Amino acid sequence: MPSGHACCFGSGAVTSEPQLSVVVPLYNEEDSVGPLVDAVRSALESIPPWELVLVDDGSRDGTADRVAQLAQTDPRIRLIRLARNYGQTQAMQAGFDAARGAVVVSMDGDLQNDPGDIPRLLAALEAGNDLVAGYRLNRQDKLLTRKVPSWVANRLIRLITGVSIRDNGCSLKAYRRSTLERMRLYSDMHRFLPALAAATAGARITEIPVRHHARRFGASKYGLSRILKILADLLTLTMISWFREQPLLLFGSGALAAMVLALGFGVASAVALAGARGVTDAFVLPAAALLWVMLACYLIMLGLVAQAFLHRARSAGEALTPIAVERLP
Amino acid sequence: MIPARPDVSVVIAVVERPGPLVELYHEVVPPLSSAGLSFEVIFATYPWFRGLTAPLAALAAQGEPIRLLELGQALGETALLKAAASAAGAPIILTVPAYPQADLSVLPALVDRVRRGADLAVACRSPRRDSLINRLQSWILHAFVGHLAGGKLRDVACGVRAMRWSSMAEVPLYGDFSRFLPLIALREACQVEEVVAPVHPRAVHARVYSPGTYLRRLVDVLGLLFLLKFTDKPLRFFGLFGTVTSGVGAIMLVIVFLQRVTGGSIADRPLLLLGVLLATLGIQAIALGLVGEIIVHYSVGRQRRYRIREQDTARTRPDAA
Repeated sequence: MPSGHACCFGSGAVTSEPQLSVVVPLYNEEDSVGPLVDAVRSALESIPPWELVLVDDGSRDGTADRVAQLAQTDPRIRLIRLARNYGQTQAMQAGFDAARGAVVVSMDGDLQNDPGDIPRLLAALEAGNDLVAGYRLNRQDKLLTRKVPSWVANRLIRLITGVSIRDNGCSLKAYRRSTLERMRLYSDMHRFLPALAAATAGARITEIPVRHHARRFGASKYGLSRILKILADLLTLTMISWFREQPLLLFGSGALAAMVLALGFGVASAVALAGARGVTDAFVLPAAALLWVMLACYLIMLGLVAQAFLHRARSAGEALTPIAVERLP
Repeated sequence: MIPARPDVSVVIAVVERPGPLVELYHEVVPPLSSAGLSFEVIFATYPWFRGLTAPLAALAAQGEPIRLLELGQALGETALLKAAASAAGAPIILTVPAYPQADLSVLPALVDRVRRGADLAVACRSPRRDSLINRLQSWILHAFVGHLAGGKLRDVACGVRAMRWSSMAEVPLYGDFSRFLPLIALREACQVEEVVAPVHPRAVHARVYSPGTYLRRLVDVLGLLFLLKFTDKPLRFFGLFGTVTSGVGAIMLVIVFLQRVTGGSIADRPLLLLGVLLATLGIQAIALGLVGEIIVHYSVGRQRRYRIREQDTARTRPDAA
């Protein structure tokens, strides 16, 4: 069982259970696996019992075999092999589900993150945070296809969610497991993990600078096309951050806006009726007003459906309550 | 006699316009018996097809391994398949359509694939020697849903299949989706394999269905496309539609507004109404997408959305440290 969040590590009593789980999703990274494991080993030498959870996300190369070989020689290395390629979000979730440590660290499998930064992440977590996100100093990526879109996305995410994270794209993060247990990743939500953690677990979040290396093996897995998807996900995230507990408020606000427009068209039609050009304008303007009224009714009904669904979901009692930390005087 | 623990259960769902069923039965038997498989043949159908199944009942009375299952309501082919499969005595289910499709000599090869570890083995008709109309229908279906197989399947529509039924437990099957079982099974990370089979010699006749059937197929394909691509992210689907629609509507409204301000008339043209209509439609689509996202977000719950092929195998081996 996780020991809650009073303390990351025990009093030094060494048990076979790891206290730190490093989770790395891998997709076609057979060349990176060996160097990655070496880097993690040397970085975590002086750290309490740890495990390295390597999640093979349906790779078509020899990634899983490499990991299996390593796992046989070192019991701290674990292989979780997914049945097909599910994408990074589900791979991370699979790693989180398998992790046994009270503290979980996630990072990329392409050696762009430096495991040497993990001790500093842990220290920041111990200082009273539930999630520590790394941000990449001197990012070693292409400017136009990677850095610019990511700068725009990060600005938008910060603006919308109010969670001030400089670099959502950096996978190197540390979490208390109690935080991870309160959230569930789906769709492509790994990009917005801090915002999701804030919205669903009430996590205390901080960020520290981490090192970033250029890609040594393999090819980058995504490009410009994800911007549209990110925009749709951002809209979802907005809704979840602001209206998660009261969806009717979101749809009610929309209905109110539609009613204001309806009123505007209504006034315009009254003016048209009274004025000289009355006969013609007085036909289209009330019709337009009615359309906005219709939209308002529709939004209210949708809001009620959403609220009813929330009520059902809450009475099923699956979601854990957010974390609240007692401050000692 | 029906064997107590047959090797395979053949399930034939008799839904629409079956061929002669006794003939079909006599086509199923030889390949299975010559391969040394013990089997039962389950015909799943509705009470109103009793006229067609009466000769089968007579055969069953003579001791042939035939079972007749009846479902009181027309709940669809999938319901018949599931009912028959759960009543079946064998762990491996073979499905055969009630009309000539692929040559049934492929049945033992399909069973063999499943015994060697595949969750689902599907006959792939090749070369296509059946009627041009049938081929055209298959081609259209593939144009819509073929890409969902990620290049792993060449014939998604063939109903001659063998499956390990326990592996199908996690595959969500309902409505008419048994038709697309290979696609859905791939999605659920089942191991799906194809076995090449010649076209049935009597499949040369064109099969043309009623317009209602084609309409249902179209709805099925739409549903499948949406479910396999957007179940977890409804807003990506509705949002795109809504943004384009409301964007066009907004542009129209701006044009109307500018014309009105510059003294033009707006009442004798439908542009204003069309603009408002498109704008409201777009907002409705986005709002519906948001409700979808809310439903996904709240119902994600504790369930796992992925399947694990192996976990910590090194740990469980006795020789591992």
